Amino acid sequence: MVYPGALKKLVEVLCLFPGIGPKTAQRLAFFLLGRSREEVVAIARAMVEAKDRLTFCEHCGSLAEAEQCDYCSDPKRDRSLLCIVQEPRDVLVLEQTGKYRGLYHVLHGALSPLDGIGPEELKLDRLVQRIEKLGLEEVIIATNPNVEGDATAGYLARLFNPLPVRVTRIAFGLPVGGDIEYADELTLSRALEGRREM
Amino acid sequence: MFYLERLTLEGFRNYRYQQVHFHPALNVITGNNAQGKTNLLESIFFLSVNRSFRTRKDHELAYFDGHCFNLKGNFIKEGFNHAVQVEYRSNKRLMMKVNNDHFNRYAQIQNYPVIVFSPDDLQMISAGPSVRRRFLNLEASRLDSLYLKELKDYQRVLNQRNQVLKNYLPRARLEDTLSPWDQSLVELGVSLIRARVAMIKALEIEAGHFFSEMTEEKEKLSLEYASTVPYCGDREEMKELFYRDLLNKRDQELRRCSTLLGPHLDDLVVSINGYNTRPYASQGQKRTAALALKMGEVSLFHHKNDLCPIILLDDVFSEFDLSRKQQLLDFLNKSGGQCFITSAVDLQGMVEKLNRTYKHIVINQGCIRDETVRTGD
Repeated sequence: MVYPGALKKLVEVLCLFPGIGPKTAQRLAFFLLGRSREEVVAIARAMVEAKDRLTFCEHCGSLAEAEQCDYCSDPKRDRSLLCIVQEPRDVLVLEQTGKYRGLYHVLHGALSPLDGIGPEELKLDRLVQRIEKLGLEEVIIATNPNVEGDATAGYLARLFNPLPVRVTRIAFGLPVGGDIEYADELTLSRALEGRREM
Repeated sequence: MFYLERLTLEGFRNYRYQQVHFHPALNVITGNNAQGKTNLLESIFFLSVNRSFRTRKDHELAYFDGHCFNLKGNFIKEGFNHAVQVEYRSNKRLMMKVNNDHFNRYAQIQNYPVIVFSPDDLQMISAGPSVRRRFLNLEASRLDSLYLKELKDYQRVLNQRNQVLKNYLPRARLEDTLSPWDQSLVELGVSLIRARVAMIKALEIEAGHFFSEMTEEKEKLSLEYASTVPYCGDREEMKELFYRDLLNKRDQELRRCSTLLGPHLDDLVVSINGYNTRPYASQGQKRTAALALKMGEVSLFHHKNDLCPIILLDDVFSEFDLSRKQQLLDFLNKSGGQCFITSAVDLQGMVEKLNRTYKHIVINQGCIRDETVRTGD
């Protein structure tokens, strides 16, 4: 199909988004064409503004609009607890639970020698310094339950061993509200391993 | 009762378009050489395992190196129809559908079991350990879905760990960097080895039984798992031994930049009367041993799932002597599973002794030329 030049460029740009193929990109492009000029400008401005105003907190690495994020600057948060996650979006998910009131630390990745990501890339020396400075009681490791996430958790546990702090790993198990019969074997076997006294 | 009722091939190997109906018990496929007999078996195997038993490259399966093929099979399982469909397009992910629900490749590997025996299976005995590991991995994955997941993870851990070994880190940092990968390697490696050993024990009984019948009790088949890691009954103890050996191998691993211990280097030793078949057995013995491993799998599946897998025999009857052929036919008859036999010559005389109806299909240049249901008497 032959697109006019400007449309072709728009579709190409939209294709850069994760999970967007040529067909969806075309749909999105026609959606934009159908809006008024003001609306399109507002969308574009929202993107640029988000990019300009959001940075990563210099203490914990989560998304912030200032040097310090809302979690680090909030005096009401529990400063004896630290939760370590892989990505900034993991912080948002944990926040939505409303159950966790401690501090965060975002690694921005997991150990993966094949991708050239080692302890230096994750700036783990800074994490150790931070833990020492905060005088924490407990560190919760909430990396993803896959090969790289598990290795990262193993590495961190070893790294924190000399520190006077309790180190825990988030539990794995069944989705709440689900049926045991629909759980896959691996999840179920991990859930069995992590069972607890009642 | 489990069988393939109907199969449609589109653009697969030398089949442009062909639909075939099968007999629920026995199908004998004949035709001259290079007409498409094995291709038909290959398509049935592909529907079940999402991989060919002849090549690892999907594009070779497309009609004279075209860009796509479709396979559709109607399996009848406990009276219910399961429409299993596979669609291949070059540069796209293989698409698998069961009753119109989409699945990833290998996701249905346990549900429509098909076991093939072809002349290439001689390699299981005479070639290097990787062929036997592939056999163990495929069969264990089909019997236990946890195995497939752990195998995938193990392979990934192995690649990551080898990369660390290649990075030439200073000794002080090396131990810290390797340690989490060692931990995962040991954890997953021990699981895989234990699953393989358990399967081999069960397989030895079934395959051994088949083998003694084939050789009229004159020879005894035994299987042993040859591991690079010491095996012991207690899981935790085994992990410690694995870990200890890994530390001892550190220098050697760093020189070779690769992991030198673990299930990715293990082997299955097949012996007849106590002698390893690979160096000592005759061609005929090797072939019988390979067939015993496959038919042992049939019985294992049958016991575990109460469902006899579909059996594909590619050109086997030309290879065995008369008494072994007869034993094999008796086994097939007793197993009760659906069976496909290809042959370049008509097997009428042989099969009719079974006294049962079967379907005879004649293939010529990727088309079915003749189909007849023959009765045993």
